[in-house]
Amino acid sequence: MTGPETALPRRPLAGSPHRLAWMGFLVICLSFGLATAYQVFTRGLVVTNLTDTVPWGLWITIDLSGIALGAGAFTLSAVVYVFRLSRFRSMVRLALLIGIIGYTSAMLTLLVDIGRPERFWHPWVYWNVHSVLWEIAWAISLYLSVMLVEFAPVLAELSLFDRWPAARRLAHAIHKATPALALVGMLISLIHQSSLGATYGILKARPIWFKPSMPILFILSAIAAGPAMTMTAAIVLQWVTRRRTVPLDVLRAIARFSGLGLMAYAYVKLWDLAVVAYYGRTPEAESAFYFLNQLTPYGFGFWFGEVILGIVLPVLLFLAPGLNRSRSNLALGGVLAALGVAINRWNVTVSGLVVPLSYSPGTQYQPPAGAYWPSLAEWGIAVGVLGYALLVFTLGARLLPLFPSNPRPQDR
Amino acid sequence: MADGKKKLELELTRRDVLKVAGAAVGSAAFAYTVTSGPLSPFSELRRRQLEGQETPDEEARLVHWGMAIDLEKCIGCNYCTWACSAVNDVFPDKTWNIVVPERTPSGAGFFFSRPCLHCQEAPCVEVCPVQATWVREDGPVMMDYDRCIGCRYCEVACPYDARKFNWEEHTAENEFAPTWGIAEVERRPRGVVEKCTFCVQRIDRGLELGLTPGVDREATPACVNICPVGARTFGNLNDPASPVSQVIEDNPSLRLREDLGTEPSAYYIPPKEGL
Repeated sequence: MTGPETALPRRPLAGSPHRLAWMGFLVICLSFGLATAYQVFTRGLVVTNLTDTVPWGLWITIDLSGIALGAGAFTLSAVVYVFRLSRFRSMVRLALLIGIIGYTSAMLTLLVDIGRPERFWHPWVYWNVHSVLWEIAWAISLYLSVMLVEFAPVLAELSLFDRWPAARRLAHAIHKATPALALVGMLISLIHQSSLGATYGILKARPIWFKPSMPILFILSAIAAGPAMTMTAAIVLQWVTRRRTVPLDVLRAIARFSGLGLMAYAYVKLWDLAVVAYYGRTPEAESAFYFLNQLTPYGFGFWFGEVILGIVLPVLLFLAPGLNRSRSNLALGGVLAALGVAINRWNVTVSGLVVPLSYSPGTQYQPPAGAYWPSLAEWGIAVGVLGYALLVFTLGARLLPLFPSNPRPQDR
Repeated sequence: MADGKKKLELELTRRDVLKVAGAAVGSAAFAYTVTSGPLSPFSELRRRQLEGQETPDEEARLVHWGMAIDLEKCIGCNYCTWACSAVNDVFPDKTWNIVVPERTPSGAGFFFSRPCLHCQEAPCVEVCPVQATWVREDGPVMMDYDRCIGCRYCEVACPYDARKFNWEEHTAENEFAPTWGIAEVERRPRGVVEKCTFCVQRIDRGLELGLTPGVDREATPACVNICPVGARTFGNLNDPASPVSQVIEDNPSLRLREDLGTEPSAYYIPPKEGL
């Protein structure tokens, strides 16, 4: 599929109109985001469409998606350093960069989302060990630190550090600890990626959330879609820089892993659907689904967005022997899998909140059913965070040695 | 599969595992020491605020403040909501107390009202990531508005819709004051979650003055005092002679969503037609 043009080792697009247009696009995104953030910080969350009925929305979806799609970092680090499958080594640095981008994007969004941003440090000081959200706050801070330490040797290779050989030596020493860091990172990630699902799964008053499968669905989808996201980034980088990044057989191996992961996710998801919506359905769940299908395109979002776009198509593109030999198919599959995860996180968050609570002893009263679509301000922050993510990705790709310099034999 | 040829090599020795485990335990201990433990600048604050934050043991405690709401008596006048809003400086877009028309299964109308039910196994308390909310020794579910970060997880977790978030700063005068009462507590700032407190300011002040909450008006929640038909009763659930215990003793009663195991401190007397 890929032609011989990949052999040309040139610095692409220097000062070209393409790059100017790209930088202009990023600047517009970031300015939009900053202007919106100013609005939110001065006027408060009243600028959102969130209400006391639906207090979580687009921003929480971004947090959950960013963390899930950053899961390639722990998966690939563990594959290389704990399970010693060294042919995936060429992917680890990129996976770490994507992970760092995903987690910092989530943290930026959270900072805007909480009502008192200046108290962001409270979970570190005021411990509530019973709270899954406290555990998540600690885990994402710790895991971001682990990723940054793991990534330090890559940063140390910047020419900036030519003058400080001590920094290089330190980075080299850190590099020796990578297997331990990968192990710790894997443990923390396995816990908090699941806890994000448990955030919803433990809430006993919410009929469509309260189920033990929540954490399992979250971790399986993250393990499946995270590496696919990294694989897609590698392919996109190869297209843009026109330099070979990662051999196709490595990309295909990751795609197959993701395909199988998505199938495992689909398996649990369909049994979960059978239990919650069919043979184990409670009157509460029944009325919740009735409500959702009356008020929202819940069924369409689930079947088309999550199942067809997010699972069936990527599984075909990743696993069918006739399809998974082309980089564009793999990239398309990765994008669809990531989109499927984002749609799932949206569907879980918003649908669970739209269903009114039921606590009155009578037969008539229900609190108002929620309705939610993000406001311009919420989209503004979303665009700003996207701009931040793309900017860091661009800078990382341009300045950092993401792919180890010793070239591997050509894959085709 | 992904890598059939290469065999899986795990080169972790016992020493490595011990090192990692030791590092993990050491880091946790270090983190605790510097953030919340003896070395933290916040430890004294934290210790003070933690006092009385353990979930109370029902057998051991002498006082458990509770409320009984008689749905047969309620006439739906909304006075409780207005008095609450005046005394606690609450705004009409997010009242702590609600009164709504309801129907029994047989079709008879009645009025349903709901303060915070002050669950003793409160879902909102469990989920708070910063322990800004807790069950006080004598029952009420408290909020620390200086600690709340405004994540709104408690609002999502509450089965009774009893928590409200301050989406914006309220600068206007409270429309319920002074007709329905005078503000007794500070207005909450933008960006924190707030809720009914069983008027703890009245309970605590009353006890200092030697009064009995539920009997003496000065020590009793505003919604109970204002009710023109005496639908609400307040007092110590652990004292069989208190007005609230008497009402619960003399009538059939229920608690909302008992199936969730939240152990609310508010009891409802159903309407005569039955529920």
